[in-house]
Amino acid sequence: MDFVTDMMPPDTTGEILAIGWETALLTLQIALLGTAIGGLFAVMLGLLAANNLTPEWVHHPLKVLLAIMRSIPVLILALVLVRAVGLGPFPGVLAIAIHSVGNLGKLFADECETAFEGVWEAMDSAGANWWQKVRFAVWPQVAPQIVSLTLYRLEMNIRESAVLGLVGCGGIGFYITLYQRSFNYTCMCTMVLVMLVIVLAVDQLSVQIRKRLT
Amino acid sequence: MAERNAPVILVEHLRVNYGRRVALCIDQLRFDRGECVGIIGPSGAGKTTLLRAIKGYVRPTRGKIEVLGLNWSMCDRSARRRVQRRIGLIFQQFHLVPRMTVLQNVLCGRLGSTHRLKSLFGRFSAEDKQIAWRAICEVGLQEQVHQRADTLSGGQQQRVAIARVVAQQPEVILADEPVSNLDPVLGAEVLTLLVEVTKHHDATLILNLHQPALAKRFVNRVVGLRDGRIVFDDLPSRLTDDQLQEVYLGYEPTPLYRDDSTAGRSMAMVGA
Ligand SMILES: Nc1ncnc2c1ncn2[C@@H]1O[C@H](COP(=O)(O)OP(=O)(O)OP(=O)(O)O)[C@@H](O)[C@H]1O
Ligand SMILES: [Mg+2]
Repeated sequence: MDFVTDMMPPDTTGEILAIGWETALLTLQIALLGTAIGGLFAVMLGLLAANNLTPEWVHHPLKVLLAIMRSIPVLILALVLVRAVGLGPFPGVLAIAIHSVGNLGKLFADECETAFEGVWEAMDSAGANWWQKVRFAVWPQVAPQIVSLTLYRLEMNIRESAVLGLVGCGGIGFYITLYQRSFNYTCMCTMVLVMLVIVLAVDQLSVQIRKRLT
Repeated sequence: MAERNAPVILVEHLRVNYGRRVALCIDQLRFDRGECVGIIGPSGAGKTTLLRAIKGYVRPTRGKIEVLGLNWSMCDRSARRRVQRRIGLIFQQFHLVPRMTVLQNVLCGRLGSTHRLKSLFGRFSAEDKQIAWRAICEVGLQEQVHQRADTLSGGQQQRVAIARVVAQQPEVILADEPVSNLDPVLGAEVLTLLVEVTKHHDATLILNLHQPALAKRFVNRVVGLRDGRIVFDDLPSRLTDDQLQEVYLGYEPTPLYRDDSTAGRSMAMVGA
């Protein structure tokens, strides 16, 4: 149990807490931005990848594309992107966005495919065009699920984002590895605890919002 | 415009096949403006297929379907969409937009005529709203306008669907078993409303009905389908039990007047 005693007590000097707070915020921002961008593209691609909304030649390649996007782990995507666009939060945002598009896009497409066919036909019968049918026959049925799935993805992306510091995307993960490598375990402990608080807070918020939706 | 006494719907030498299975085989069938027609027949007779073919959703294997002067197999896409917009559909399961109010649902009937882009943001013109409001009044749902449609009773939901079709201002209304999900009293009310609305708007109504007894009460012409063929086409008063036998022979008996002995038999079969 040496590693526990090494970390005790966590370093609570103002300076360390400030670093923890600031970098945890960056981690949170990376996750939020990545999820937002990813969610937006996922809505568009998810609609087009639903086999009841578009012809085969549209939805089939898109399904494959989404599968590829979600098959690459965020950490590996980030490693590659850091090489491509340089160190910093930007490749992190991109990595999270890409993985989220693949993941959410597929879930959104599945949602759309279970949307009630009959309403689609009723709207078509009234003379609605494709956009109007999506807006009135599909969207009202899938919107609560889309919001809920996106929030759930956000919870996961915050954890992913914390790890991205390890490969040079900044944020709290960077300091956790930094303190770990310099054997400064009490400071590392502070960082982990700050991260824990942030993750729990966002989870709680997300759970509350999702509960309201149903 | 077509001449005054041209048929609203004209079906000639129609054949609809699904694979090798013949779903419809009709030599000639015409419906004139203002008619209220009931189509009866056992399950699988082709009632739904006929309505969908009239709407232009089912492509005939052979033959001609002309609706409001337009031949489905000899027109371009835009002409087809324009005429399809003048045909309203009513479904057994209502197919209302969930989580939307009665008013929003009825406004959906305007989607084909309103400003397309504005409608995507839920914005409709004053004229659209007026048409929708009048339709809601016609079906008697003024008090529920702002209630979510999925919180209404089944009968009220079908009224919303009727209001939506009224808002569409169609010249032909096709209703596929509109009351099969409702109890008999509500069903009769909804059919009364449907017939009234059709008359009021000088439209033509074609109803698919499972219960011949209902058909007799509400329509002024009955078409009997069996295995995709027309076996009866006459006034409802001419529909005798014998003729009904011919339509339903070999299928689950649906007598005009409920016969308790058959009810008992089918119960026994369920038990066995
Ligand atoms: N999409 C389809 N593919 C293959 N066969 C079909 C299809 N739609 C209908 N059929 C067949 O065509 C025949 C007519 O079906 P239809 O649905 O028109 O009957 P119906 O009179 O409406 O029956 P019900 O009273 O059960 O609604 C049936 O034998 C049915 O199995
Ligand atoms: Mg049917």
